[in-house]
Amino acid sequence: MNGQAWLLLLEGAWTTLWLCGIAISIGVVLGLGVALVRMAKIPFVDQILVLYISLARATPLVTFVLFLFLSAPMFGINMNRNTAAIVAMTLNTAAFNAEIWRAAFLSFSRDQREAALACGMTGGVFFRRIMLPQMITSSLPGLVNEMSFLIKGSPAIAVIGIVDLTRVTNRISAVTYEPLPPILCAALLYMLIISVLLKLQAMAEKKANRLAM
Amino acid sequence: MSDSNAALAVSIKRMSKSFGDIEVLRDIDLEVKKGEVVSVLGSSGSGKSTMLRCINWLEVPDRGSIHIAGERIGVNEAAGRKMNNKELATLRAKTGMVFQGFNLWPHLTVIQNVMEAPIYVKGMAKDQARAIAEQLLEKVGMSERKDAYPFTLSGGQKQRVAIARALAMSPEVILFDEPTSALDPERVGEVLQVMKNLSSEGYTMIVVTHEMEFARAVSDQVVFLEKGLIIEKSAPDKFFSNPETERVRKFLELSN
Amino acid sequence: MTEWTILWEARETFINGLIGTLVLFVLSTLCAFVLGCLAVYRLEAGDRFSWVIRTLINLMRTLPFLILAYLLYYGLPQLGVRMDAWTAGFISLIIYHAAYFAEILRGSRLVMPAGLVEAALAHGFTPGRLFWRIILPQLVIKTRPLLGNQLIIALKDTAFLTIITVQELTAAANSAQSTYFIPTQAFVLVIILYWLISICLELALKWAGRFGAKRGFDYV
Repeated sequence: MNGQAWLLLLEGAWTTLWLCGIAISIGVVLGLGVALVRMAKIPFVDQILVLYISLARATPLVTFVLFLFLSAPMFGINMNRNTAAIVAMTLNTAAFNAEIWRAAFLSFSRDQREAALACGMTGGVFFRRIMLPQMITSSLPGLVNEMSFLIKGSPAIAVIGIVDLTRVTNRISAVTYEPLPPILCAALLYMLIISVLLKLQAMAEKKANRLAM
Repeated sequence: MSDSNAALAVSIKRMSKSFGDIEVLRDIDLEVKKGEVVSVLGSSGSGKSTMLRCINWLEVPDRGSIHIAGERIGVNEAAGRKMNNKELATLRAKTGMVFQGFNLWPHLTVIQNVMEAPIYVKGMAKDQARAIAEQLLEKVGMSERKDAYPFTLSGGQKQRVAIARALAMSPEVILFDEPTSALDPERVGEVLQVMKNLSSEGYTMIVVTHEMEFARAVSDQVVFLEKGLIIEKSAPDKFFSNPETERVRKFLELSN
Repeated sequence: MTEWTILWEARETFINGLIGTLVLFVLSTLCAFVLGCLAVYRLEAGDRFSWVIRTLINLMRTLPFLILAYLLYYGLPQLGVRMDAWTAGFISLIIYHAAYFAEILRGSRLVMPAGLVEAALAHGFTPGRLFWRIILPQLVIKTRPLLGNQLIIALKDTAFLTIITVQELTAAANSAQSTYFIPTQAFVLVIILYWLISICLELALKWAGRFGAKRGFDYV
């Protein structure tokens, strides 16, 4: 592993991180949106969302990414690789996040709502000031857990030719004819990234438990 | 709106409420003058809490009217329709409520719990809200713990914070829903003491309680509910020493 | 409609892919589950080897599945260890998911009341009997939903193996679409197949849940 190889590896890590970062940021908000719409129980829309969540949770990311990338042009949509990867990962993670948000929504105590109404808060103020902050705290461990799952699933985007942290090892070994070192180094980088997330998850859990006391 | 109404903090007329087939409140009439303390007694299931919760529309009564400081709650009389959520909130801001289970907001510190509604309901400036909150926490003896989170407090401390939170909106009336029922026996006194102080400061209070001593010492009126009906309504001296009905006599005997 | 009828023409590809995925999934999760249980059993000892197992489990939790498959398929030949894509896929699925199964069971083992173990010891159970007869059945019943989740993750992880050229369901869709130019139809079909498999899994788990419910277990 020379300097050039490390540079390529870091480039791959950066590709993984920025693509996942965008998917996570949109996915968290989109998941909240889906959860909120589901709470409204609008007929038809609700069934569609249930179907979406069920399908997205059962479809391997590899398959989904391939599907999006290859069949979008059939519908006259031109997606480059990165867009296809982001859309696929976002739709995947949002489905899981929607369930996490929904669980937080459903477990929220009625008493706190009454206390807020009794103070003269409107539904909107109550949601923004009392409910949402607590939903964020109680969902955070689950959301961070899902982030590490997404990063562990992200090598799927290699299948459409994106040179991420996994696929870059092929590139390096094609030159060096020594596949083992780049794979081990990539593994090390994944370990670092996901360890940080696991640590964050533990911290978030601690905070969430405090809230529940 | 008559002038006699305006002198009253709360006036309830012929209020009834059913849950399904069960009639929990029947033709409740109650007038609470400004500065008065009314204790509501009765065995569990008599409808006391429902009556209290109807006053600020947490429960919606089926019939009758409720005025708070002369204003009808739940019905926009000028427009001849039900109040929307915003109008309801405006009127609820004029009442304070203290719950059996405290219902402090766990993600906010003690002082933030007290400041929250003044800032986000009344639109008060933060500094002013903080000054008021500090003063109120002083009043309930909680200023030393103002930056603590609710989970670190004892039940009595939580309830005193909840009282400060209710006071922060300078309400026309404070509704207490069995404020000491969830407390350890040795913590009941500190909360009752705070409530006594409030009554001597002239706050209007409606208190659903099982604390006879408190009701006797502090109230101006005692109301007794039985199966959704007010069967006795009198001054505490008369209520405790010479009740009109056999039911109340028995209740007092059993609770001593 | 002709594009959909092409799917029928290519049915052999899809059926082979489906069989490939099912074989991969069933065999590897069975082995992974047994290996995971063995790991948790070995953890009971609490010696240095247990520490090694813990470290391995934690390591797997921080790695993507595909990098493990890469290591076996592309990396090991450098050390003279060569295996075909199927073998590499199988072994990596087994090792990876064994670690996750073990972690799930270990988490439940940590919160198991000590009294249950003491009661068995007082009745003269040997540590081995104690684990396989008393401890493990409870852990499995209690963690059923989590184990079920892991099964679905394992099913989806088989699709990664298409990247190291294993001919499973996703690979089948990919080869069919490139032969007949029907990407939408090919992938819609396999996505529905994955979906059906996971629905069957969920139903099976729900059915298995009755076993635990009869014994008064609460689910996490």
